Amino acid sequence: MPTIDTDDILEQRRAYNETLAQAADKTRAMWFPMAVMAVLLALPALQFVGNYNYLIHLVLFTASYVVMASGWNVLGGFTGYISLGHNVFFAVGGYFAGMAFARLEISTIILAPVAGLVAGALGYLIGLITLRVRGPSFIISSLALVMIFRILFENWEFVGGAAGVALKANSLPVEWAKLPYYYAFIVMAAFAVWASYRIKHSKFGLGLRAISKDEIKSESAGIDTRFYKVMAFAISAFFVGMAGAVWGEYLTYIRPNIFLIILVSVNMVLMCILGGKGTIAGPVIGAVLIVAFNEFFVATLGASEINILATGLIMMLCLMFFPLGIVGTLARHRKLPRILNWD
Amino acid sequence: MADMIQILVLGLALGGVYALMGSGLSLVFGVMRIVNLAHPSLVMVGAYIAYWAFRLGGVDPMVILPVALVILAATGVLLYKLVFEREARSAKYSEMTVLLTFALAMVVEGALGTAFTNTQRVTSPDYATDAFFIGSVFIPKGQLYSGIVSLTIISALALFLKYSAFGNAIRATTQNRDAAELLGVNVNLVGLVSFAIGIGLAGAAGALVSFVFSFFPAKHWEWIAILMSLVVLGGMGSILGTVLAAFILSIVAAYVGFFFGATWSTLTFFVALFVVLLVRPQGLFGEKPELA
Repeated sequence: MPTIDTDDILEQRRAYNETLAQAADKTRAMWFPMAVMAVLLALPALQFVGNYNYLIHLVLFTASYVVMASGWNVLGGFTGYISLGHNVFFAVGGYFAGMAFARLEISTIILAPVAGLVAGALGYLIGLITLRVRGPSFIISSLALVMIFRILFENWEFVGGAAGVALKANSLPVEWAKLPYYYAFIVMAAFAVWASYRIKHSKFGLGLRAISKDEIKSESAGIDTRFYKVMAFAISAFFVGMAGAVWGEYLTYIRPNIFLIILVSVNMVLMCILGGKGTIAGPVIGAVLIVAFNEFFVATLGASEINILATGLIMMLCLMFFPLGIVGTLARHRKLPRILNWD
Repeated sequence: MADMIQILVLGLALGGVYALMGSGLSLVFGVMRIVNLAHPSLVMVGAYIAYWAFRLGGVDPMVILPVALVILAATGVLLYKLVFEREARSAKYSEMTVLLTFALAMVVEGALGTAFTNTQRVTSPDYATDAFFIGSVFIPKGQLYSGIVSLTIISALALFLKYSAFGNAIRATTQNRDAAELLGVNVNLVGLVSFAIGIGLAGAAGALVSFVFSFFPAKHWEWIAILMSLVVLGGMGSILGTVLAAFILSIVAAYVGFFFGATWSTLTFFVALFVVLLVRPQGLFGEKPELA
């Protein structure tokens, strides 16, 4: 009777996986994200030669949305559960860190990971409840969540109600005042992209992607779908909460109509859809494009109503003609440039 | 005691408008399986039509109601042909249409905001600020009339669905789309017509809303959750359920508003939506949890 050496098989499998990984590495251009990071880290040096506060603000704003969209992508992209209510966690992170800053004077940048964990814990609890339903019901429940939180925050006297709380601006000279937040958001964005890469290629991420393909089959294949989904919800809430924490201090305000407006959560969704849901580079590309679009509309036409109209229109066209997004569509036609293949 | 009756009356009076807004939504979901998040924004379009007709021409909102209905129904045909017909073959149809209608709601809100700014508007025909008195209980005329008109339109819709051949085809498609198609129902035409009726009802509701509530383009977000709560509680696709849910919730909201303050009365709808989705996703009259 022939015996099968399991170690041998495992070894062979490992070697095979290794060759696959190497083949995949050849299609990547790791130098590109590194180069982008290097340029972004050096960018504030421009302040020595002139006033580039607006440019810094734009990069910072984009980076904040990279954090949020990458976080949203863990739930909406990998797992396939579309939440229109993730700005709730933006608000929770913002209010937690903002209140701690206002009362205890702890910098929100230091507190950001803690605020993220608070948002993540709340996300875990909410996920336990709302992830019992799926499809359209889940989307509707996420909308209801925003409405409920908006009313709660507007009537909670401790956090200033609808007027919110004003936070102290930092004492740096004006050309350097944005820098702490700038670096905080750049680091968080890099971390979010790196983390979503690691998540996507872990066993956990494989489970999430299986759920988005067919939840019932995944369940019968032995994946604890409930735990996986709720964890994905908590992780995505963590990133969004972290971004919210620093955003409040940057704006020097925490107020319901900064955090709990529908445009914030729509932007997260739209960036992922436009860039490519479930891809690593997608949310980043989406964030860059949408922020550029927003600035263009506000700068040239000057009205936020037109901005809402345009955002909705882009979203409709995107859903109808490019449901896979830029990265997804290019990859399907095997035309994805190497510098954008971050998966 | 008089207070309690007064609040019951006010709740009942508002229920009619909510029922009309919700029934269009419910019809579209029943036949097309589209959760139309843009419905409230289209109600808003109807409200603006009534507002400008009243402001510029002094036309009574009740008179403009059929016009709003027809304009919006035509819009519905256009939307169906341009957007939703081609989505019918999409793999994640129901999720896709939720996102699409969500984007559509933003487009409508942005267009209305650009054209008419975000100022609060309300039409004020004489009856909007008048009331009947029965003893010490007062019934606002505007809300009473709008309730009566709503219920009339809903009854007409119910009779149409129950007794006409086309209405039967619509009901058959709601129950089982494939079986209806096998039996010779032109489900695509049924989809088109019921979508047009649903959106038309949004226009009609808009004309009534224009003198019952003050409105501005961004207000439709609040209505989305309110209408969803009615439709989900009633059982998605059941018009009778939606109407009952509208009355139940608006009465409960009226009491909540009386006991805890007006801010919390809208919260009733949102919490109800949340709880129903999680405890009984099929609602009062839904047969199986279709959405879950």
